[in-house]
This record gives sequence, structure tokens and C-alpha cells, in this order.
Amino acid sequence: MKLIHTADWQLGKPYGRFEPEVRAALSEARFDAIDAIGKEAIRHGADHVLVAGDVFDTEGPEDRTIVQAISRMERHPCRWWLLPGNHDFARNGGLWDRVRQRCGDRITVLAEAQAQEIEPGTWLLPAPLTHRHNLDDPTEQFDSMATPGSRIRIGLAHGSIRDFGSQGETKNQIAPDRARRSSLDYLALGDWHGTLSVDARTWYSGTPETDRFQRDDPGHLLLVDVAERRDPLVTPIRTGGFQWLRRSWTVNDQAGFDAECDQLLGSIDPPSTLVELSLAGITSLTDRVGILSKLENDVGHRVRYLDVRASDLVGRPSEDDLASLSVEGMLGVAAAKLTALADAGGADASVAKRALERLFVEYSREGRA
Amino acid sequence: MSLYLRRIAIDGFRKFREPMAIEGLADGLNIVIEPNETGKSTLLEALRAAFFVRHGTKNQLAQSFAPYGGAVGPEIQVSFDADGAPWTVTKRFLRGASIEVTGPKGKAQGEEAEARLHALLGSVRDTSQKGDAGTYGALGLLWVGQAEALSVTGPGQIVRDTVRSTLEAEVGSIMGGAAYTRVRTRIDEQYGRYWSPTGQKRERQKEAQERVDQAEAAARDAAERLAGLERTFSELERARARLKVVEREIADETDLQTRKDLVASLETARAAAQILATRRAEHEAVSAKMRGLEDLAERHRKAIEDQDAAEFALQGARARRAELRDGLTTAKQRLLDARSALEAARTGRQDARDALSRGEDLVRASRRRNAVATARNRHAELVELERLQVEAAALAATLIPAKVLETLEANDRLVAEARATRAAGATRIALSGDASGVSIDGEPMPLGERTLTGETRVRFGNAELVITPPAGAASAEEALATALERQKSALVELGLASLSAARARNDAARDAASELRTIAARVAAVTPADDIIGLAAGPEALKLLVAELSAGADIVESDIPDIALLTATLEAADSALARAEGAHESAVEALRRVEHEDAPLASAEAGAASTVSNANSQIEAIESRPEFPTLAADLARAREETAAAAVRLEGATRDATAHDAAAITRRIEIIDARTKAAGEARSKLEMEVARLEGTIESEGGKGLADREAGAREEAEAARAALYRVTEEADTLKLLRDTLDEARDETSARFVGPVAKRAKRHIERLLPGCDLSFSEDLALEAVVRGGVSEGCGDLSRGTQEQLAVLTRIAFADMLLEQGRPVSLILDDPLVYADDARLDLMVEILSEAAERMQVILLTCRDRAFRHVPGNRISMAGEGSEASAHKT
Repeated sequence: MKLIHTADWQLGKPYGRFEPEVRAALSEARFDAIDAIGKEAIRHGADHVLVAGDVFDTEGPEDRTIVQAISRMERHPCRWWLLPGNHDFARNGGLWDRVRQRCGDRITVLAEAQAQEIEPGTWLLPAPLTHRHNLDDPTEQFDSMATPGSRIRIGLAHGSIRDFGSQGETKNQIAPDRARRSSLDYLALGDWHGTLSVDARTWYSGTPETDRFQRDDPGHLLLVDVAERRDPLVTPIRTGGFQWLRRSWTVNDQAGFDAECDQLLGSIDPPSTLVELSLAGITSLTDRVGILSKLENDVGHRVRYLDVRASDLVGRPSEDDLASLSVEGMLGVAAAKLTALADAGGADASVAKRALERLFVEYSREGRA
Repeated sequence: MSLYLRRIAIDGFRKFREPMAIEGLADGLNIVIEPNETGKSTLLEALRAAFFVRHGTKNQLAQSFAPYGGAVGPEIQVSFDADGAPWTVTKRFLRGASIEVTGPKGKAQGEEAEARLHALLGSVRDTSQKGDAGTYGALGLLWVGQAEALSVTGPGQIVRDTVRSTLEAEVGSIMGGAAYTRVRTRIDEQYGRYWSPTGQKRERQKEAQERVDQAEAAARDAAERLAGLERTFSELERARARLKVVEREIADETDLQTRKDLVASLETARAAAQILATRRAEHEAVSAKMRGLEDLAERHRKAIEDQDAAEFALQGARARRAELRDGLTTAKQRLLDARSALEAARTGRQDARDALSRGEDLVRASRRRNAVATARNRHAELVELERLQVEAAALAATLIPAKVLETLEANDRLVAEARATRAAGATRIALSGDASGVSIDGEPMPLGERTLTGETRVRFGNAELVITPPAGAASAEEALATALERQKSALVELGLASLSAARARNDAARDAASELRTIAARVAAVTPADDIIGLAAGPEALKLLVAELSAGADIVESDIPDIALLTATLEAADSALARAEGAHESAVEALRRVEHEDAPLASAEAGAASTVSNANSQIEAIESRPEFPTLAADLARAREETAAAAVRLEGATRDATAHDAAAITRRIEIIDARTKAAGEARSKLEMEVARLEGTIESEGGKGLADREAGAREEAEAARAALYRVTEEADTLKLLRDTLDEARDETSARFVGPVAKRAKRHIERLLPGCDLSFSEDLALEAVVRGGVSEGCGDLSRGTQEQLAVLTRIAFADMLLEQGRPVSLILDDPLVYADDARLDLMVEILSEAAERMQVILLTCRDRAFRHVPGNRISMAGEGSEASAHKT
């Protein structure tokens, strides 16, 4: 049988450090991911969608977030199995009670560790989290769940895989050989935001919509084809609308930067791309101004979001820079002073560097007359 | 190069309605000394018009050139040398406006001519209404009109630009100019968004800070609310856990079972208590019966004992009493005897006493009789004395009081005095001879002397002699009569004839009074007290006694018995009585002793008899009771029964102690209280759970966690934004400050050359001074002795002089630039003192060696001694002439 494995929707994530319009787009994209999942499920004939935790970003989301989530799910004729994760752990009177009050019978909240027969002979073993930080392996409970007449046993859990070498207690850690130990045909995991196969039967689906600069891949879901006595067939399918790219470039002049820039822009869909760009290198002041100006005035407007970290891009005024300024008499004097201050180091050096750059920017703004 | 003016001709310009010309202007110093109203200032104005005012303009300035009321076109022609070449400018304004310039490049007219002038002089086209000296270039600064140089002003832009190259060449740098201005303007604009002019944070910085504050407050608030909700969750968990515990407790059967057991044991305990009570009552009854029997037996035994003892005592008492009976009889007899003797002794003594008493009475009566006789004698004596006393008292009562006697004496003296007075004032007549026929006052007149005191008529026959004594005689007569009368009445009152009789009476009265005192002493002597007859002292007592005695009881005299004998008899009777009394007492005592011995025995006997009787009756009573016959057997049985009852009581007591009902009840109560508390706790917890669930339901739906996360991220973003804004603000501040510094430094370097040149001159005026120029090359302040004085604060004279000197400095610099320079000062140095004036003239003379200098002044005396080319402005029509002095 085919089913969809997804996790870490993180609905209601605030994106507070973004400008309002970016924030709105990112928030909306997380809801759109539900539609994407629903469509893929129908397209591939999967009747069940297993969500392995962290459906919501917090245990106390706005009503709107809940209603949006439910209404989006209910638009698609499949069954949704929602597992409380560490972000949206289950507790009395908490989030999931609110969800249950609103959802129909095609949405099931797996807030109790009780096996569910989702299809005849196919049992779903959920390991819901009831605390933000669980010390035990939540999947231990699989061994005590009764699955009478089961032909296929599917585990659903949220947490990180315990490292064989790690010592001491960490949170929500799951035994790496849980699938084998509990005779699972497939173990659907959540928490890790990238798609990851632990073994043939144990997978992290990753988030359907990336939510941070961590890996370049956009969000995916997993289409899982399980059957008795064989490993499942797992196919990642892209659902993510936005791509979050983190880049570090070392550039030493405008030309080098331009080349990198062209390459990047050529390989992405700029409107749906968020970029965190770290620049390093030593350039002339003119080049630095040129680079930053291009980022600010061009690249920044092309992509959805651009975060430039240029503190490591050292713009040293070249001889030419200083010469062109010194022709201007007083501006030259000022530039010399700032250069001296910047070279002297100390607390004011960084301010002096910026001031020098600003002087140069303003001087260059309308070309050198 | 200097610009050398040579000839200036004016026609129809302001006050010069008629043509006027000045010629002969020399290279060096030219001085035009003319009185006021001559047109010196108009001359300078005309020069400016010729060089700088567009010929075609109709502006206000040009309009003012026309002579008042005149309709002519003002015309000026100036000839000058520039750069060694001769030039001529001919300009006509308003009506028929025209310009013609002749120079090294030939002749030019109109705009071309204007352009050539501008090119030569470095001036620009003036588009203002009233004329703008700033557009005149160097000559605008150097041609100084009247009162224009009274304060220090900076050079205009044209001059500054002109000297710049000199300055730049000298300091090896340039003032930023346009680029600086552009950058500076932008930076200022940006700076203004972050900082106020006084360096206070504003706009963007404030907004960013506010955003941070708000975001942080919101985040705090959200976090608090979320924490509150989380607390509610954990409270709910706790409440539920406790509820579970309580419910488990309630469901626990242990207490229930325990209670059931306890209730059962309570029943047992109650039964045991009842049995105990019964046993106790039984025991009590049996032992009471036993005690009754024991008591009866005991009483019987004791009664028999008493009977025996009493009978023994009775026997003893009776035996003893029998022994005492003889002694008692003897003692009684003795007492009787003693009592008879005593009676006899008493009688004897009584007789003796009576006899003595009678004797004594007789003696006393005899004594009294004697006393009475004596009293009678003294009474007779007293009667005589009292008679004498009455007589003496009467006599003594005639004593005339001393006062009255004094009055009598005084009256006597008055009479004597009145007689003497009358004798002195009376008329004495004496009749001798034959007195017949002679009558006096109708009566015959005797012979002899006569004293007349009033009018007296003496008749001698038919003759009558009226004698009138002096007036005083009559009154004297009257006074005498009055005195006599008074004396007489006084004596009559006393019953006396004369004063001497009064005196004699008084003497007799005094003697009688003395006699009275003697009689009184004698009375006292004859009336002493006499105890025998109870007589008190004094005559009254005596008189009373005698009056009482008058009854005359004359008792017959009897024999006087022998009192001593009687007394001795009595004493003997007394001692006999004493002895009889002693014997009687001893007999009484003896009897008493015997009786004393007998009395206890009698009472013992009586007591014993009574006891025996009692005992007998008790024994009888006891023995008559029905139980008496079986008493011993009954008693033994009763004792056995009591012992058995005691054993049963013991057992019941043990049972009752083993099942303490109170303790069991307490335990049951504890269990009940626990159950009740658990029930209450459960309902309280259920309520608490419901409340918390309600809170969670209402608060949970608000998306507090979402909000909190959002607020937190917003706060972080705001902080980041604030950091960026602060960074930007700091950057702009530093940049702006740096630009300021750069400008200040540069301008300090730029003004150096200006200051150097100006100082050369000014130092002569103000030795040891330093100069401070502003960025636009205006002299700002003079520093003397370390104190900086703004130019505006200097004296007007100094200001004017500095204004001239700085102009010379600029002129020098312009000269170095090869600009056409000439210096014209209209009415200068008006505030200069003599010394300063000399100095200034000296400086001007030196400057005149480098350039043409024209001084226009009205002060002949001040400039008379100054060597130079003297020019005078000739009258209308004639040309001004020049002569070298």
C-alpha cells in the first residue's frame, strides 16, 4: 500500500526577523505545503498521510492557525494521522484538544500511544510526545502495543536517532534499530528537517517547506510503498515552494563577485529563494562599494530575501581611491583621517571603516565630477 | 597689475547736471580734497556705473543716475591703463543707452563691450535691482564708498575664488568646493535623520529604540502570559495527580474494613461494661449483708464485755465508799461544833461594839452643848457690831462727791470775783450831814457810804439828784447776782448752808468710812467656823444657827462613860471571833476533803450502774432479734458468698478493660474524619481542575505560544535593527565630525596666507596681535595678549582701520594674481586719531607704490600734509586739474 510520510510542518512559525511581507509569504507557504501534500497523495493514490510530529510550531498556536491547518487538510480526500511532536506535545486541555474539537473524522490525532488499524491488517504504532522534553525513548512503547492480526506494522515517531557512541541522556532519542527491534515494516520519523534515510525501513521525511537556512534543498515529502516481507519503496517528492540558500563567497574584486553572482542567479528561481550571503575577502573601497551597491540595489530586489554579511569583506581604500578623494581637498583630508582611525584599530576602527566607506559612497554617487 | 585711472568725465549724472571731468590722475597716491556736497561720492558712483552697471539696464540703480527732474541720459567716460594698455569706456544710461569700449583689442560696443569689461575686471553681470557689489569682483571690494568700510567684512565669492589659486599654490591643497558641499549636504541630511543639531538622538534612532522597547515589552508580556498559561497547565497536572491520589484513597477498602471490625469490637466492649456493672452491684450487695452480720455479732460481744467491766467497777466503788462513810460523819460533827462557837464569838463582839458606840455618843453630845453656848455669846457681840456698822455706813454715805465740791469752790471764787468787779465799777456816794428830806429812789436815804450801781435818783426836797454810775457797774452787779444765785442753788441742793459746812460734812463722812473697815474686821473675828456644831464662818451662818437654836433644847447632862475600857472589851471580842472563825474554816475544809474523796466514787458507782443497765438492755435487744440464733452460721456463709462475688467482679473488670469502648470510638472517629477530609479534598480538587481547565480553554485558544514566539523574534529583530541604526548613526556622526574637522583644518591652512599678508599691515597698527580669519576669509577676531576680540567688539575706529588694511591685503593678493587692482577710498579713516591717521596714511602711501590709490576726502587739514598727487574737482564746465605737491 502507498502512503505519504511527512513531518515538521511547523505551522504558525512567526519568522519575526523578516520584514512583514516576507514573513507573510513564508507563513502562508507552510499552509500551502498542506495542499501540496494533499495533491501528491491523491496523485499517487496514497490514502493515508502520516505526519510525524511538529505539525504546529508551538503548543499554543492561534485559532487561525489551527483552523487553517484543518481546513486545508479537509480539502483533500485522504486520511490524516497527526502525531504530537516536541513542539506540539500532547497534554490535557492543550493544543490537540482544540484540534479535536474542530476536525472531522478524516483527521486523527494520535495523542495516545495506542496502535491503530488504519487498513485491515495494517497497523499504525504512534509514539506521541507528551512533554517538550522526553527523556525516554518514546518508541519503547511499540513493544507493548497489541496489533492483533497485523500484516503490516508502521511506526510513527518524533525525535532524533540515538547516536551509538553518545553517552548520557538527551531528549526524545529513538533507538536506531527501532524498526528491526519492533518488527516494523516502516518507521516514519519527524524532527530532522531534511530528508534522511536511517536504514531501509527508517526514514526522516524532512519538512515539506524549509524554514531556515540550514540546507539548500527545498522541502520534500516521502511517498512510501509498504508491503509484507520486503523493504518499503521510498520516493522523495518536492513540495517546498521556497529555497533557503546559504552562501559564502570569498571575493577580491568586483569581477569575481559578479561572476559568483551570475552563477547563483542563473541556478535559482530568485522570487522563491531566500539567500544568506556571507562575503569575505579584501577589496578596494571602490569594489566594496560596488559589490554592496549591487547587492542592495539589484540582487536584493531580485530574490525573495537577501541577508548580506559583509563584515568579513574588508574594503581597503586603494591608492586610487585615496588619490581621487585627495583631489577634493577637504574630502581627502577627511578620508585620510578616517583611514588613520580605521588603521589604528580599537573600538572606533569599525565605525571609522564604515564612515570611510560611506564617504566614498557619497562621493561616488554621482560620479566624480 | 594695477589699474590706473587717468581721466573721468561725467555728464548729466545725478548732481553733475553739467559736464565735469577729472584729469591728471597719477600712478601712485592721488588725493581729492573737496568740501562736502562737491560730488566726491557721486564720482565714485559714476566710476562703478561706468565699469559694472549694464548700460541697457533700467533697474532702480540706473534710474537713480538721472539728475533730479532731468530727462537726459547720464553719460560717463573713463580713460584708464590696464596692463600697460590704454582703455576708454564710454557709457550712457537710460535714454539712448550705449556703451563703447576702446582697448588693446580695438573698439567694441554693446554686449561685446560689456563682456570685454567683465573679462578684464573679473566681474560678472549684475542682475540685481539696486546693484550688487559682490558681482563687481575685486574692485567691488577695493573701491570703498563712503561709510562702506566702517566695519570689517569678508571678500565676496569672486574675490575668494580669485585668490584661491594663490592660496592653493601656497598651502598645496584646495578647499573641497563643490564635491565637499555635495557630500556634506547629503551627510547632513542623513545625519539629520539620526541626530538633532545638538547631538541628541532623534527620528530613526528614536524610532528604532522605541521599536525595541515596544517589542521587548510585548515579548515580556507575551512570555509572562505564556508562562502563566504554562503554570496553569502544570497546576492542572498537579491537581489531577492529587485528585487521582485522593480518589485512590477514597476507593481504598482498608479503612472500611477496619471500621467494620472496630464497630464489632465496640459491641463487645459495651456488653463487657454492662457485665462489669452487674458484677459490681452483686459484689456490693453480698458484702453489705456480710458487713451487717459482722456488725451485729460484734455489738453483742461488746455489750457482754461492757456488762462485765461495769459490774466489776460497781463493786469496787461501793467498797471504797463504805470505807469513807465514818470519816465523813466525824467531819460533819466537828463542823457543827465550830459553827456554834463562831456564833457565840460573833454575839460577844457585837455587844462590845454597841457599848462602845453608846459611850462615844455621849461624849459628842457634851461637846456640842459647849459650842452652842459659845456661839450664842459671839452672836450677841455680832449684833452690837452690826448696829455700829449701820451707823458708820450712814455717815459715810453723806460724803459729797469731789466734783460737786469743786463746783462749789469754783462758784465761790466766781462770787468773790464778781464782788471785786462790782466794787471796782460802782459809784460810791457818801451822805453825811442831815439826811432828812433826802430820799433815794423814793426811799429815804441813810447816812453813810453807799455804792450805786444803777441810775439813782436822790431827792433833796424838791430837788432830785440823778446819779448815773458808769455803765459797767450795772453788769457787774448782775454777774454777782448770778454767781450768788448759782452758789446758793448748789448749796441748797446739798442741803448745806455754806461751803465750809460742806467741807466739815465731808470730813465726818471720811472718818465713818474708816470706822466701817474696822467694824468689818471685828465681825469676821467674832464669826469663826465651828465643826462641832456644823457652823460655817461668817455672820449669816452664826445668825442662822442661833435662830435655829432658839428652840432651846436643853439636854440634860449625863455621865460620861469610860471609852478606853469599852474599847479594850471590843478588842478582846474581836480576837475571840477571829479564833472561832479559824476553827470553823478548818472544820469546813476537813469535811470538804472527805466529801472530795467520796464524790468520784459515787459517780463511778452511778456510771457503772448505768453501764451495766445499758449493756443488759442491749444484750437483751440483740438476743431478742430473730437472726441471732443462727448468726454465726449466717456470717460464715455470707463471707464465702462475698469472696465468690469478688472473684466474679475481678473477671468482669478484666473483660471491660480489654474492650475500651472510648478508644474504639476514637479510632472510628479518626477513620470517619479521614474519609470526610478525602471527600472534601476530592470536591475541592475537582473544582480546581474544572477552574484550570476553564482557564486553559479560554487562554489556550489565544495562541499565546505563537504570540510569544512571534514577539520574541520581533524583539530580536528590533534589537538587530536598533544595532544597525545605532551603527549607522555612529558612522554618520563620525563621518560628519570628521568632515567638520577636515574643513576646519583646511580652512585654517587656507586663511594662513591671507592672515600673513594682513598681519604685515595690521601688526603696525596693533603690535603683537594675531589674526583669526573665518573660512570665507573674513577677519573674525584679533587676538591680543591671549585675549580674542571679535571684530564687532572693537572700537569703530579700529574696525574701520582693519577694514582698510584687510582690503590692502586682498589687493596685494589680487595684484599677485595679475588682476587689475586699484584702491579708491571715499572719505576714509573718519574715526582715526592723529597717530593712527599718520600710520594709515603711511601704509596707504606704501601701497600706492604697488597700485594706484585714490583718496576722496573733505578733510583738508587731516590730509594736507600727505604727499601725493592733489586733484581738485573743478566747477561746472571746467576740468579738474591736478598738481603734484
